[in-house]
Amino acid sequence: MPELNIVEKVIALEGVELWHNLSPEQLARIGSIAEEVKMPPQRVIIEAGKPVDALYVIVEGSVELSRNGEAVATAKQNDVLGAWALFDEKDPLPVTAKTLEDTRLLKIVRDDFYDLLSDNSEITSAIFSTLVKRFRKLVEQ
Amino acid sequence: MHSLRSLRRQMFDIRPGEHRRTWAMFFYLMFVLFAYYILKPVSRGMFLTKFDVDKLPQLYILIAAFGGALAYLYSRAAVKSSLQTAVFWTMFLSVTSLVAIWWAIHLPWMVYVLNIWVGLFSIILVSQGWLVASNLFDAREAKRLYPLLGMSMVLGAAFGGEFTNRTALLVGTRNLLLASAFMVVLSYLAFRVAISQAPTRVHEARAAEKKDTEFSFGEMMRDILRIRHLQVIVAILVVTYLVDTLVEYQFQAMARVGHTGDQLTAFFGQFYGLYLNLTEFIFQLFLTAAVVNRFGVGGTLQISPWSVALSSIATVVAPGVVSASAVRLTEASTRYTMNRTGMELLYMPLPLELRNRIKAFIDICVDRFSRGIGGVLLIFLTTGWLHLHVKGIAIVVMALCIPWIWLAHSARREYIATIRKRLESRRLDFQEVRINVTERATVQLLESTAYGEQARPAAYALTLLSQAPDYDIRPMLRKLAMSDSPEIRTAVFSAALERRDDAALENAVKIIRAVQSGESQDLPQSAVPYALALAPDRAKLARELLQDRNPALAIGAVEALRNQEDLAKQLLTREWMNGEEQSTEPARRRLAARAAGVLRDRTDVVWLASLLNEPKMRADAIDALAAYGPAICGALSDMLLDESMPIRVRRQIPRVLKAIPAQRSVDVLLSAIGQEDLSIRSAVLKALNRLRETSSGLNFENAFVQEQILKEARYYYELYAAMAPFKGEQARLLTRSIEYRLKGTLERLFRLLGLRYPPKEIYNAYRAVSDENAEDHTAALEFLDTTLERNLKRILIPLLDAPETRLERGRELFGLAPMTAEQAIRDLLHSHDPWLAPCAIATAAELKLRSLAPEIAEAAGRGESEVSEVAKSAGAMLAA
Repeated sequence: MPELNIVEKVIALEGVELWHNLSPEQLARIGSIAEEVKMPPQRVIIEAGKPVDALYVIVEGSVELSRNGEAVATAKQNDVLGAWALFDEKDPLPVTAKTLEDTRLLKIVRDDFYDLLSDNSEITSAIFSTLVKRFRKLVEQ
Repeated sequence: MHSLRSLRRQMFDIRPGEHRRTWAMFFYLMFVLFAYYILKPVSRGMFLTKFDVDKLPQLYILIAAFGGALAYLYSRAAVKSSLQTAVFWTMFLSVTSLVAIWWAIHLPWMVYVLNIWVGLFSIILVSQGWLVASNLFDAREAKRLYPLLGMSMVLGAAFGGEFTNRTALLVGTRNLLLASAFMVVLSYLAFRVAISQAPTRVHEARAAEKKDTEFSFGEMMRDILRIRHLQVIVAILVVTYLVDTLVEYQFQAMARVGHTGDQLTAFFGQFYGLYLNLTEFIFQLFLTAAVVNRFGVGGTLQISPWSVALSSIATVVAPGVVSASAVRLTEASTRYTMNRTGMELLYMPLPLELRNRIKAFIDICVDRFSRGIGGVLLIFLTTGWLHLHVKGIAIVVMALCIPWIWLAHSARREYIATIRKRLESRRLDFQEVRINVTERATVQLLESTAYGEQARPAAYALTLLSQAPDYDIRPMLRKLAMSDSPEIRTAVFSAALERRDDAALENAVKIIRAVQSGESQDLPQSAVPYALALAPDRAKLARELLQDRNPALAIGAVEALRNQEDLAKQLLTREWMNGEEQSTEPARRRLAARAAGVLRDRTDVVWLASLLNEPKMRADAIDALAAYGPAICGALSDMLLDESMPIRVRRQIPRVLKAIPAQRSVDVLLSAIGQEDLSIRSAVLKALNRLRETSSGLNFENAFVQEQILKEARYYYELYAAMAPFKGEQARLLTRSIEYRLKGTLERLFRLLGLRYPPKEIYNAYRAVSDENAEDHTAALEFLDTTLERNLKRILIPLLDAPETRLERGRELFGLAPMTAEQAIRDLLHSHDPWLAPCAIATAAELKLRSLAPEIAEAAGRGESEVSEVAKSAGAMLAA
C-alpha cells in the first residue's frame, strides 16, 4: 500500500470537526506534519488514564474504544482519536483505543502542531473561530 | 460586437429574473405619464382660454395651498395602509374624479378645480410609481434599471402629448378627460403585474415600519431637520420647482400671445408631446445612463441648473416665444431625465423605512410649497414697482441657478457620507476613555478607588492621579509600594519612574533583593527599570542583575538600559553578548536578542534574523530588529526579496517593518507587494495596512499599487474561469480550494484599495461585501461605485456585483476564454502553484482525463516533492 500523498492526507483531515473552518490549503499544511502510521490488529493506540501527545485520524481499518475492558464504540475510517489532546496536555482520555484489524492512521504530534500554529496565525484564528462557535452553542443550550 | 453589447448593457442591463417586474413597471409609469400629458395641456389650455395670464400666479398659490393639505392627508392615510392599497385607492379616486369633472366642467370654478387636481395627480401617481419601484429594486438594480424606467415616462409623456395634439380638434378638449381615465386603468393593471413577483414586499411596505406608527407633520419636519441628507434633497427640490414655476410662467405668457381655445391646447400638446418629449427621449436614451455612470449622482444633478442658466441668456438677449420655449424645453427635459434619475438615486442610501415614510411627503409637499412660493415670487416680480417682464424674470432664474449648482455639489458629498455612515454603523469601535482629573470630586473618587480592594481599578486610578499636573502623588506611592498586589506595585513603580520620583525606590530595591535571594518569585515588571533609573549605585546593580540566573531580573536590567545608552555600552559588552547568544538556554538567548535591540550593533542583524525562524524566539527578535529603526530597512528588504532565504524568515520581515513607522519601511513593503508567494504577499499587505492606519504622514501612493490591483483582479477572473467548468460534487477539493483562493484574493484586493482610499471605509466595505446581508452588500457596492476611480471600478465592480456576468466580464476585460475542465486543469497544473497544482493533478485522476497523462508524468519528475508524489499516484490511477 503506497504512502498517502498530500491530497489524500487533506481528504482524510477534512473529517476532523475541529478543522472544519480551515481551507484545503491550510489542511495541507497540517498534512505536511502528519505522519502515516500502520498498525497491526490488537495494537493499543491510546491507553486510558495515560497522557496523550498526539491526534490520530483513521485512514483505513477500525479501532475499538473500551472503558474498563468493556467495548463502548468502534471508530472507523475518517474518525478522529484524541482531538482535544492537542489542547489538553494534562487530562488523559478515559478510554483505551485498540486496533481491530490492520489499520492506517495519520498521527499529528502536539509539539509539531504548535510549531505549525506559530507560523500560521490564520490556522489558529480559524480553530479559535470553531471553538467559539461550539462554546456559543453550548451556552445557548 | 463587443461595443454594441456593452452599449446595450449600459442602457438595458436587465438580468435574468428581472424582466417581468421591470417591463411591468415600465408600462405602469408610461401609462401614468400618458394620462398626465393628456390632462396637462387640457387643463392649461382651458385655464388660459378662460382667464388672463396674470391669474397664473394665483393658480400656483391655490395649487400649493390645497396640495399641501392633501399631501398631509395622503401621508396620514399611507402610513395606515399598505402601498398596494394606497395605489389602488389613488387610482380609483383618480378615475372617478376625472369622470365627475368631465360631467361638471361647465361650472365656472371647475377649471380651477381641474388645474389643482391635475397638479396633484402627476405628483401623487408618479411619486407612488417610484416608491413601488424602490420597493421592487435594490440600489444596484436601481442604478441599472432606473434610466429605463425614466425612459418609459418620457415615452408616456410623448404619446400623451401627441395624442392630445391630434385629437383635441377632433373630439373636443373636454372628452380627452375620459381618455385620461382609461390610461389610469391601464396603469393599474401594469402595477398588478409588476408586484406579482414580489407581492409581499409592496404589500408590507408602508410609510412607517410599524403598523401602529403615527406620525405628524411635526415629526416629518423633525426628520428633515435631523438628517442633513434630507435637507439637501429638500433644498434642491425647492430651487428646482421655483425655477420650474418661473420658467413655465415665461413660456405660458408667450404661448398665450399667439394661441387660444382648442388651438392653445393643441400647441401645448405639440410642445409637450413632440418637442419636449423628443428631447427628453433622446436625453434618456443616449445620455442619462452614460451621465449617471460617468459623473455619478452629484455630476448628474449639475446638468439641469447649468443648462437652464445658460439657455436663459437667450431670453435675456431676445425675449420671445422661441427663446421662452427653448428655456422651457431645456429646463423640463433635463428635469424629467437627468435630474429626476439623479434625485431618485439620491434617496437610495437612506434606510428603506425612512425612504418610504418621507419620500411621498417630500415629493408632494415640497413640490406644492415651492410652486406656491414661486407664485408669490411671481406676484412680487410682475406687479408693483418691480413689474418685471419675461426678460427680468429670466435674470432671476439665472440667479437662482447659482444656489442650485452649489446644492447639487453638496448632494454628492451627502450621498457618500450617508453610505459611509451606514457601513460604519455595522462596525463597533472601541475608543479609549480619558478622564480629565481636574474636579475635586473626581480626585476624591480616584483616591478612594486607589486605596480600594480591587487591584485593577486601583492601579488605573493611581495611573490617572499620577498624570494629574498639580496632584502630590508621593504619599500614595509610598503607601501603595507595600501593597500585596503585583499589579498595584507595577503601577506604583511605573508612575514613580515616569515622574522620576524616588518615593518608592527603597521598596523596589527590597523586592529585587528578595527575588535575587530566592525568598520571593514575585517581581513587578517595572521594579527593575525603576531601580536602575534612580538608584545611586545603579551601574553596580545593573551588572549584578545582568549576570543573575533569574531571567526576569536580567531581562528587566536589559530593558532598563534601553534608555541609558552610556551604561548599556559599558555593560552589554561583545563578550557578554557572545556568551548569551551561544547559550543553550532559550531564556538566555532571548535575553541576548533583547540586548541586541538595545545596542543596535549591525553585526547582530543576521543573527537576529535567523531567530525569526524559531517560533519561541520570534517575538523578541522582531522587537530587537524593529529597535534598529529605518537604518536596517535596506537589509530587511534584501532578506524579504531573497528567495534563497527560508520562507518562514521572509514571512516575518513585514512584521518587523510594520513596527518601524518610517517611509523607508513603506517603500520596502511596496516593492514586495507582488511577491509570488501568497503568504508573503498577504503579510506585506497586512503590514502596509497597519502602517497606513497607525502612522500619518507616510506616502503610499505608488504605481505598484495600481498595477498590483489589476494583477490581483485578473488573477481573480482567471481563477473564477478555472472553477467554472466543474459542477456539483465533481472535483470538490479543487473547487473548494479555488473558492478559498478567491476569498483570499478578494481580501488582498481590498487591502490594496485600503492603501489608496480611506482604509477604515474600505475595510467596512470589505466586510459588507463578504457579508450575506444583501442590503449591506448593496450599500458597499454603491460606496465603491462612487469612490473608486473609473478604471478600477470598471474592473472591480463586476467582480463583486453579478456572478452570472463574471465570466463574460473576464473575457471582455482580460480576454479570458471559457475553459473546459481539461483546459482548466492543464492551466492549474502548469501554474506551479504549490497547492492548486497537486489538487489539479488529483482532479485529473478523479475525472480520468487520460489526455493529461504525459503532463502529469512530467510533473512527477519535478523537484517539488508534494507535486511529484501526487503526480505519481495520479499517473498510476490513470494507467490502471
